[in-house]
Amino acid sequence: MIITNLPIWIVDVAGSAAMIVLSLMCLRLALRLKRLDQSNVIWTYLAWVCYALCLFAFSRGAGHILKQVLVMAGRVNIWESIRPVSGSINTLSFMVVSSVTLFFHRTWIIYRDIQNDKLALQSLSDELLFLNRHLEHLVAERSKEVAVSERKYRRIFEVSKDMIAVTGRDGIMLELNPEGYEMLGLKRTERLNGKRFKDFFSEETDWERIEKMLENKGFITNIEIELKRSDGARMGSLVSGSYDRGLPVQEETIHFIVKDIEQRRMMEKQMAQADKLASIGQLSAGIAHEINNPLGVILGYSQLLLRNEKTETDRYNDLKTIEKHVKNCKSIVEDLLNFARSSKPEIKTTRINEAADDVLNFILHHSKLDGIDIIRNYDEEAPPMLLDEKKIRQVLINLLMNAGHAVGKKGRISLSTEYIKQDNKIAIKVADTGYGIEEKNLTRIFDPFFTTKPTGEGTGLGLSVSYGIVKSHGGEIIVESKPGTGTLFTVLLPVVSP
Amino acid sequence: MVQLSAMKYILNKIIRFLPVFLAVLFFSEQAMATQMHGGIEGVVVHQMAHIVFAGAMALLIYWLRQHGLVVNPGWRQIQYAAVFFLLWNINAFIVHFLEEQVDILDMAQIEPWQLRLQAQPAFEWVAWLYYVVKLDHLLCVPAMICLYSGLKRLLESPASESRPGKMEGS
Ligand SMILES: Nc1ncnc2c1ncn2[C@@H]1O[C@H](COP(=O)(O)OP(=O)(O)OP(=O)(O)O)[C@@H](O)[C@H]1O
Ligand SMILES: [Mg+2]
Repeated sequence: MIITNLPIWIVDVAGSAAMIVLSLMCLRLALRLKRLDQSNVIWTYLAWVCYALCLFAFSRGAGHILKQVLVMAGRVNIWESIRPVSGSINTLSFMVVSSVTLFFHRTWIIYRDIQNDKLALQSLSDELLFLNRHLEHLVAERSKEVAVSERKYRRIFEVSKDMIAVTGRDGIMLELNPEGYEMLGLKRTERLNGKRFKDFFSEETDWERIEKMLENKGFITNIEIELKRSDGARMGSLVSGSYDRGLPVQEETIHFIVKDIEQRRMMEKQMAQADKLASIGQLSAGIAHEINNPLGVILGYSQLLLRNEKTETDRYNDLKTIEKHVKNCKSIVEDLLNFARSSKPEIKTTRINEAADDVLNFILHHSKLDGIDIIRNYDEEAPPMLLDEKKIRQVLINLLMNAGHAVGKKGRISLSTEYIKQDNKIAIKVADTGYGIEEKNLTRIFDPFFTTKPTGEGTGLGLSVSYGIVKSHGGEIIVESKPGTGTLFTVLLPVVSP
Repeated sequence: MVQLSAMKYILNKIIRFLPVFLAVLFFSEQAMATQMHGGIEGVVVHQMAHIVFAGAMALLIYWLRQHGLVVNPGWRQIQYAAVFFLLWNINAFIVHFLEEQVDILDMAQIEPWQLRLQAQPAFEWVAWLYYVVKLDHLLCVPAMICLYSGLKRLLESPASESRPGKMEGS
């Protein structure tokens, strides 16, 4: 078959030229890539492929063009002599491309590993850098948290209304909260140095007891201990405590929590007192009632006899003495009945300031209180209130009489009223600068028939009757006294509005 | 690292010895010209080179796919280039093979633009095949174009994208 070779010729010449141009362009790009990232072996691979392809394109393209030209010119023999060289170079270039390509896989894997390692290193160094840069910050944050927590627990320690004490195993006080200082009567500025907890115990054996229990159980709960304040006063308390084995580096400590139950004990004492008074009251009321009737009969008959007797006779005087003493008896019995609240109250609207002032004037009129300063101080805001005025007057008379007696010839008595708004109460205060009441007597002065006055001068009923009256009004009497300095009686009455 | 430097070493070796090879080839031009008729070995080596080239291209395609590089448009283009080169090598192999089959196909340039292809009876299609496969530039030029566009894309795309570290997670 005879066929035109024009298509072959055109494709050959044009293709060869195109191959040369394209291979040069590829090489340029590959070199640029390689220059961009020197460390990447992959670009080196591509560059080598392109080098080999260039070599191939040149040797083959130039060869083919030359061949076509020579064939056209009828100089085939020249071509025949060049052909093996061109063919060999082609072969060589194929081999270069192939062999370089065979390395591609391994190169790629190695490069990838390097890259991954590099990334890992980078992120590690970033992390390190971050830590380095923020270490200070992190530490600051952490210590702030610690400080907040420490402040919180310190507040609990400081604000606690119970005493919190930390002692060593030997009982030497290490720390004490403000309430503890208060309770033990220590000054805040005072150092604890070397003080033992047991120094504040009334009974030293109590400490031994506590120590033994701690040893056995590791803790104690609500042990009642009488504490001795630094000023010598005694105080009831409930002590709880436990061992803190602590951190390995720390010494063992004992933590104590001490509750002040003095208040409660006082209350209990008062309750007992009130109870006592109430039962005595009931008893005496019964007796008083029984005695009242015969006394009435005696008084009646003696007055009947007196009416028929001429005055100034001996019999008249005798009868008069009987009458006087019977009347005395009757008033005592009445007082007793008052104390026992057995008589009917007469409630009416009273202005307490006026009533108090009346009583004071009455007393000033009837007793010799010259040389004694009288101070009045009435609260103008005191509202009118409902109460048994006669009885309250009696209370005030009793208190003022006692004060007058206590002051003696020279001194000061003050009478004041005060309206306590938030409690809606009236406080009537009778203060004097008299001889005062000894501590041991403080709990007894409200007992019926308790008196320190010589017989004939006092019956010892004044305060007990007053106590009964005030109680029946729902109020209370509080006494504060220091022997040799003076006494203050405070009558607290709830305000019942009319 | 050791492997990498070994690679570089080998590449350096090749670079260093390439000019020597070329020089030997060019200077032995005269000697070779006289021996060409007897040298069937040259053809065999050339054919082998085509096969190796084709095999390398096939491997390259496989690796590009295995490493997931083909997601990157640049490497995808290079993959296409490899496909074209592979086809071209097969094509070239056929051309050379047919040129050796003198007892089946006889070819001669009878006039400047005329080609005489004389095939044995029942082997006419071989003549046609030869005519078609002779147009081998229709395969290798597209291969070069693909390679070029692939390189261009690699150059354009942010360097990191075509890098191994990013291409494969582990
Ligand atoms: N203001 C006071 N200052 C000091 N001691 C007081 C005062 N008021 C009361 N007392 C003490 O309390 C005791 C009891 O007082 P209370 O009024 O009950 O009885 P009394 O005054 O002794 O007798 P009377 O029944 O005549 O009042 C008194 O004996 C006195 O020792
Ligand atoms: Mg009295």
